[in-house]
Amino acid sequence: MASSIPHIESLVYACVPLARTDESLKNELVAHCQDILKSHIGHTTEMNYSQLVDVIKRRLLQLSPNGASASKFSNLVMRLVDQPVLTKKQEAVQFLSTLSTLNTHQSASITMPGLPRPSSGRPVAPTTHVEPSAGDWETTLSNAARLAEFRAQRGVALLNESLLVRDTLYLMQGISGKYVRFAISQASEKTLVFTSDSKAAISPSTQALVHRLAELGYLYSRIDAFVRERENAPGVGMIEQSLCHYLQTQLTEYYRLIAVLETQLSSTRSSTNRIPDISKEETGMSLRRLDVWVNEWRLRMRMMSVCVEGARDSHGGALVNLIHSYTDNGDPFVRKFTHELLEEVSRPFFATLHKWLFSGELYDPFEEFFVTADSSLGHIPYVHPSSLPGGINQLSGDPNSGLFNQDGEDISGLHESGQKLWETKYRFRKDMLPFCMDSDWVATREKMSNTSGSLSYGDIAGLEKSIDAAYQLASHRLFEVFIDKFKLLDHLSALKNFLLLGHGDFADQLMETLAPSLTRPANTLYRHNLTANLETAIRSSNAQRDSVDVLRRLDARILEYSHGEIGWDVFTLEYKVNAPIDTVLDHEAMEKYLKLFKHLWQMKRIQRALDKGWMRVTGDARSFIHLPGQYPYLSSCKSAELCHAELEPEWHKIRIVMTEMIHFIRQLEAYCRLEVIECSWKVLIDFLNKKEGDLDALIDAHRTYLDRTIKKVHLWHSKPGKEEVLLRQLLEIFGHILQFREATVRTIYESVSTQLTARQDNFYNYCLSRSALKDQAMDAERGVYTGAPQDAGAESEDALSGVLDRVREFGAAFSDRVQTLVHHLQVHPDLDCRFLGIRLSFSDYYRVKKEQQAGQKS
Amino acid sequence: MSTKEADRNSSAQQTLDILYEISQLLNTQLDKATLATCIGMIENGVNPEALAAVIQELRREGAHSTGQSTTASHAR
Repeated sequence: MASSIPHIESLVYACVPLARTDESLKNELVAHCQDILKSHIGHTTEMNYSQLVDVIKRRLLQLSPNGASASKFSNLVMRLVDQPVLTKKQEAVQFLSTLSTLNTHQSASITMPGLPRPSSGRPVAPTTHVEPSAGDWETTLSNAARLAEFRAQRGVALLNESLLVRDTLYLMQGISGKYVRFAISQASEKTLVFTSDSKAAISPSTQALVHRLAELGYLYSRIDAFVRERENAPGVGMIEQSLCHYLQTQLTEYYRLIAVLETQLSSTRSSTNRIPDISKEETGMSLRRLDVWVNEWRLRMRMMSVCVEGARDSHGGALVNLIHSYTDNGDPFVRKFTHELLEEVSRPFFATLHKWLFSGELYDPFEEFFVTADSSLGHIPYVHPSSLPGGINQLSGDPNSGLFNQDGEDISGLHESGQKLWETKYRFRKDMLPFCMDSDWVATREKMSNTSGSLSYGDIAGLEKSIDAAYQLASHRLFEVFIDKFKLLDHLSALKNFLLLGHGDFADQLMETLAPSLTRPANTLYRHNLTANLETAIRSSNAQRDSVDVLRRLDARILEYSHGEIGWDVFTLEYKVNAPIDTVLDHEAMEKYLKLFKHLWQMKRIQRALDKGWMRVTGDARSFIHLPGQYPYLSSCKSAELCHAELEPEWHKIRIVMTEMIHFIRQLEAYCRLEVIECSWKVLIDFLNKKEGDLDALIDAHRTYLDRTIKKVHLWHSKPGKEEVLLRQLLEIFGHILQFREATVRTIYESVSTQLTARQDNFYNYCLSRSALKDQAMDAERGVYTGAPQDAGAESEDALSGVLDRVREFGAAFSDRVQTLVHHLQVHPDLDCRFLGIRLSFSDYYRVKKEQQAGQKS
Repeated sequence: MSTKEADRNSSAQQTLDILYEISQLLNTQLDKATLATCIGMIENGVNPEALAAVIQELRREGAHSTGQSTTASHAR
């Protein structure tokens, strides 16, 4: 070591310039230095080169976090390694590093004098407790240092942080620590009380930190209390039970975290002093470190606490809804947490849903999911909570599922339809399941539960799919049941045959038997008469071969009537449908059928009236009104000749108008029958024969069938505001036809009540009475007395002109209306209706007529 | 001076430069001459940590003595 003396001397000179002049001081210092060098400083540390470099780098990073100096340092070290001169590079670097640590520790010891030196066991330590007396240091004294000095003067010592960490760990479990404890005063609001011992003071910044950490403890105790309370309470719903379970699991996780932290703490505390201070700084537990550790848990605890708060007010399905509302969160952490939570919590809900979907049972022992009784829905005891706005029904977008509507738009509409469907299905369950509980149904159920698996929140797509699958299966099964078991097809064809007058012979018979009574005022009709007539019509037509079940449902009815209405206005056939099939043939559909029947029945009536009238006009009129005219040698009577000569052209005109009417009504009937009813029917039958699709499709198909029929039969115009224009015209035409017929020929029995006056008020009767008079006159001529000769010549002339006027008027009105109708039909948007127009005005009959009229006018 | 000697000198110079830079980086507040002396001592087998302690001690002494001298001069 003697060789190092000159070096030491030069060092002394460099550091202590005073020593150059003061020999004794120099000698003293050199001796002192030699003492230090000979001591055991530094002999304890064993570090290899890379370790050393790492430690230095880390410290550089701490000093300047941007990393520039660290990278520069590693660069320099690399270069140093390449240098061949030095043999003890590691020692050189270590020397520098130690020197620098000593420097920095000096400043560190200034900022934290209250805390024991972490490396206090080391012999170097006394040298580091250098009081910064030099003016050089005075200027760099920070505020923190000044505060520390102040504290040191007042004798306030800061509490050891590790003790605080320990306390904080207690606080996080809701337990009061030694230095920091929860105030017990207010029941709910927990505040922290810090110890006021001056020996163990806690700085305000640390207090804030402890406060932050203690929040966890507060939340923890709330959640824990909730779980305990629910555990003991009776009648807690399944949703809440699973919520408690999830919370308990989370709390267990939390315990684990605390346990880990505690281990960490005790390991640092028990560690020996020999551990170098750097590594201790790395692994030691501080409040800040603790804060980082539990940061995520704080969020989690907050979420749980919010859920607990929510669970106090809401219950069952509403609770699920509440939690579900948190999933719409931009924070991925919150979203994920809520998702996990929902996964657990919604399990009972999905179990119930599953049960309901696949076995149709509404099992809800704790009344969690059905929260309100809705009296407006009568037979349905509860409204599903999913019907509450913004509820879990927004999970899925399939309105057919009847449960879920996801798309925000038109929720109410979807919801309504969903609810309707639900209602329908509920009714099925109630009404039909007793019928359906056969082996097939068991098989179907088997199939359904195979496809479903279990439902869970995470698998919404799967849920939708399984709902769809189950719905399709069940629906398909229902479809089959409808066709096979309930003979839906029979009912549909019965409706077509009876209400839509598909059975021609039946309709004719019914008309025949009913016509006399229907001309009477409505209040003289009796239902039993009508039903008897109906019975007769059925017996005498092919309808008797229809099945009993169908005929049983057929009934005649009198609609509500007002004053002045006659039987034709109020009579209707009725077909009764009962529970299962009224899903398809619902009330609305039956009303449409009745509407159609009314229209077709009227058409039939007019056709029949025209038929009868035509027979009169051609047959009877010819046979006995013209009889005298055909034997001119007998008709010496002037009036008879007058009659014949005058009236024959009138008869001819009447026949022309009547033919026109007959053409009109025949075309109309053919159109209704062939192009409307049969075509629509074929579409429906094709659908049914395919046996694809489900109940909804079936209902839809039937609805389309009816709508199409009714629209075309009523010549529905698609333009808004003009829908019923053509129908009104049609009804007017019907009215004119009837009036015309009344004015020309009227069967005797139709005018029983007004027989005497009727004699004169229609053309046929007029001719009849005239020919009777004529016969009488002829008889008188031949000398046979057949009655008192009536001289009604003058007044009958008046009557004749009146009658003829009316006949012409009605004929012209009819023709006009038909012209307008045809005109409208020719521009009708519906192609079938347009064809009807063409057929009504075959070979442009009405156009030519119109032109002729126009020509006559001009 | 042979080329070998020159090489050796220049590389020694380089090494010293590098070490000086490191010491700057670590804020040891050593000047180049002192650093060279210290490196030489370390090469001779002095314990680096002990040496660091020596430097520290000497600095303290130096500061003390200059402080004394300045106060003395003030007193005068």
